[in-house]
Amino acid sequence: MPTLTERYIDATTSSLPQDSQADVRAELEASIADALDDRLAQGEDPAAAERAVLMDLGDPAALAAQYADRPLHLLGPRYYLAWRRLLRQLLSFVPAIAVGGAALGQTLSGAEVGEIIGGSISTGLTAALHVVFWVTLIFVVLERQGTDLGQGWDPDQLAEPRPTGSERSDVVGSAVLGILMIGAALWDRFRGFVWTDGEGMAVLHPQLWPWGILGMAMLLALEVGIAVAAYAGRGWTVRLAVLNTVLGMIWLSAVLTLLGNGLLVNPELATVASSEGVVAPDTLRVVAIIVVVSVLVTTAWDIADGWRKVRHGARR
Amino acid sequence: MNEPLDLHLQELRRGTVVLACLQLLRAPGYGYGLLEDLERHGFATDANTLYPLLRRLEKQGFLSSEWNTDEARPRKFYRTSPEGEHLANTLTTEWSALTGAIRSLTDDPTPAEEN
Repeated sequence: MPTLTERYIDATTSSLPQDSQADVRAELEASIADALDDRLAQGEDPAAAERAVLMDLGDPAALAAQYADRPLHLLGPRYYLAWRRLLRQLLSFVPAIAVGGAALGQTLSGAEVGEIIGGSISTGLTAALHVVFWVTLIFVVLERQGTDLGQGWDPDQLAEPRPTGSERSDVVGSAVLGILMIGAALWDRFRGFVWTDGEGMAVLHPQLWPWGILGMAMLLALEVGIAVAAYAGRGWTVRLAVLNTVLGMIWLSAVLTLLGNGLLVNPELATVASSEGVVAPDTLRVVAIIVVVSVLVTTAWDIADGWRKVRHGARR
Repeated sequence: MNEPLDLHLQELRRGTVVLACLQLLRAPGYGYGLLEDLERHGFATDANTLYPLLRRLEKQGFLSSEWNTDEARPRKFYRTSPEGEHLANTLTTEWSALTGAIRSLTDDPTPAEEN
């Protein structure tokens, strides 16, 4: 049975580089023996003296780390800020994309609402967990390798007040809105928003699938593109506002034309609604007018908002 | 036990052990002997700090080492190298300058605002 001292020395040296192990071992043996002799000379009990000497040296893992010049932390001050910055950036959009993707995938495969919500949330959490884990792992390795990140700091990095309408929240907002609208259209197509006799029925006209929906998706994508361009280019330009106006006009005329030709709303809906006496035919007309007005108002507001941001940016 | 006070004292003393080692090891010495010498001179140091420190200073070229096997117990003897002596002189000069600077904080009759 090896003595406590032998076990202590084994525990300390085993994690050291091969070439220094024997030297550290021999030196530590002599140092411990010296300290032990000193205590024995003062009349201490041998077993208690050995314990006391080893207690003074402390945790062998900590001693080994000191010998090998290994850090006793996961991430030190040299890397912590870069780690936090990268993590914040990634966490600001990766989980959101994962949630959106999962929700879309589950909707297309015809999952239940609860399943979609639960599945999306757990996918988002898993994505966040992966981001945190892998980024941290990479930084821990970088710290142990002593890699120079080459990230100094200078005053140019201070956040500039951004021109109105070019904040990141605008990009995120229009992207979320776009995804929600496409999601709603897909839900309507595959599950149906109106329930009659336990069966779903689409609100939108069946002939809108797939080209009408695809066109809407393209318009929404362009809308997000404008927000991205304003964000990247630090502000709204006249050209962006013109493009935004054109998009708005296309959107407006498409909706109005489709509605006028009875191609927007599922015709079965009107039949079912009036035959079951749920709503009077007049009510359907009122609904149509409300739709027209709200499309008009929101589009006009969107166009005006673009020009307002241009003016606001020019005044700064 | 006053924790902030202890921390400040610890911080002030950090680095003095290196200087003390370099000065003491102008004459060859070994780990445990040096630990006792340091304590006698008023530089109480933990063994688990000193032993790795000696190796680090050796790796940086400020100490040289030699195994002495003449006695029954072989010991590794360290000695301050020429670079180590240079470092010791530099650190000692710096320490004297700091002593003067600290004294001037309390002794200097001219108020700081006039400078």
